[in-house]
Amino acid sequence: MLESLKLCLHITHRNWMVYRKDLLANISPTVADPALILVSLGLGLGSFITNVEGMTYMEYLAPGLTVATALFTSFFESSYGFFVRMTFENVFKAMLTTPIGVKEIVLGEMLWVGFKGAIMSTCVALVLALCGLMLNPWLIPLLAIVGFLVALPCGAMGLIATGMVNNINQFQTVYSFIIAPLYFLSGIFFPIDQMAGPIKFVAEFFPLIHGVRLAQAIFWNREIWQTLLSSGSILILQSIILCFMGWLKIRRKLLN
Amino acid sequence: MITAKDLTKKFGNFEAIKGLDLHIQAGECFGLLGPNGAGKSTFINILYGAVERTSGDLSVLGLDPRRDSREIKKRLGVVTQENALDESLSVLENMMIYCAFIGVPKQERLQRILALLDYMNLIHKKDALIHGLSGGMKRRLVFVRALLGKPELLILDEPTTGLDPAVRHLLWGKVRELKQAGTTIVLTTHYMHEAEVLCDRLVILNQGIVTAEGTPQKMIETHTPGFVGIFALADKRKLLQKENLEITEDSSGLYIRANSMDELTRLHSELGLTPLQIRPANLEDVFLKLTGKEITLDA
Repeated sequence: MLESLKLCLHITHRNWMVYRKDLLANISPTVADPALILVSLGLGLGSFITNVEGMTYMEYLAPGLTVATALFTSFFESSYGFFVRMTFENVFKAMLTTPIGVKEIVLGEMLWVGFKGAIMSTCVALVLALCGLMLNPWLIPLLAIVGFLVALPCGAMGLIATGMVNNINQFQTVYSFIIAPLYFLSGIFFPIDQMAGPIKFVAEFFPLIHGVRLAQAIFWNREIWQTLLSSGSILILQSIILCFMGWLKIRRKLLN
Repeated sequence: MITAKDLTKKFGNFEAIKGLDLHIQAGECFGLLGPNGAGKSTFINILYGAVERTSGDLSVLGLDPRRDSREIKKRLGVVTQENALDESLSVLENMMIYCAFIGVPKQERLQRILALLDYMNLIHKKDALIHGLSGGMKRRLVFVRALLGKPELLILDEPTTGLDPAVRHLLWGKVRELKQAGTTIVLTTHYMHEAEVLCDRLVILNQGIVTAEGTPQKMIETHTPGFVGIFALADKRKLLQKENLEITEDSSGLYIRANSMDELTRLHSELGLTPLQIRPANLEDVFLKLTGKEITLDA
């Protein structure tokens, strides 16, 4: 058990070593994208929308964008990133000749994805807090936890996709028909309560919406601990289920 | 060291290995030969649990890979068919990561890596990035990686494919040294000369079953004894005048087997042939004889 965990951490560390070689190029788009959305939608569209639940549109957008970063960084890492490591770079083939097994690969990769989600969400939150969009900037460390908790299940979704696609181009389909729609329906851009019942129902199954609620509670400094308990436990549950499914899918790919 | 009994592996409906019986002794260099798709890599992957067998018994280092793959993997090293090195990292960084994977104690890591880099003539490249290395250097580094854990069993999966003769000879020398030091070696290769030079015993696999087994010398004596004369294709008409002559033809020439060199030289002077080569039969002749038919069927 302890040995297994150590091996997972070594895999996470390996990914970090490769990632940090090109740190600036790797991190900057993740922070630049939300900034772009904030400026274009927040300032542009925001001049027409002056009041969303009692705040400016910029204030409304900020928390959602923080966790959306965790979604994208984790999904892309465990879909395209994992696929490239698996198929083109043969990283896992070599790893499997060492005491590492598939379980360690999946858990190590998920830890890495969670870690990335935490870092990215924190970076974005820092920028947003500097823009004065966070009531209490001392709560930023909490957003690292949210980033981690969102990245785990979203990353696991990427992993499941990796277990199912036949070639790298098929990720685009997964992205366009699952990830992107759910991104728009997770209460980042408008309150989800106004949507039709069935859409609301489907969106509840997507981890992002729970992350958005959490981030909103933290950004707007309201009912933080209750939300952490309710949405947090849903995210943990989703993580466990999705990671397990991802492990089953990846196992079939790696052991054949 | 390794015992397989009636081992099989199915991928869906495709039977990659059909009832394999093998015994590999401690301290020997054992070769697995066979055409592409014969089941060599599948067998090797099954040995350390990277592929699960479908049925049959298998014992590796006294353990069952299905249950104890981690314990087995702590005691073996693999030169994988693909290099699978992290291209953006340095030589030292790559090896450090693997030391951690294998569980080499922290204080020993650097020392062990440097010693092996030195052994493989790579010490001057320790800080170089992988994508700046030549193919031969990368391959030598994969050997270093496989040896980091001081393995009792070393698996070489096509270790010299795509390398120039100098590097190939260097690696052969290292493999011999490792064998002398007591390491058991399992080798797959498409180079018959390599198998002849390195292996104590070998099997030829074809379509998932063992078609021949023995020492390289024994296999040549059994399947293609004597000598081979290779003559120019243009000599075909002259050769057909002779009765009871078995001629094998391919795009490079006409192959005639004989028990002695004299028979071939006599044939040569008698018919006025253009000999391309007259040589003792080798493992390649055995390989082509035993697997050639199937290749043409597949093609």
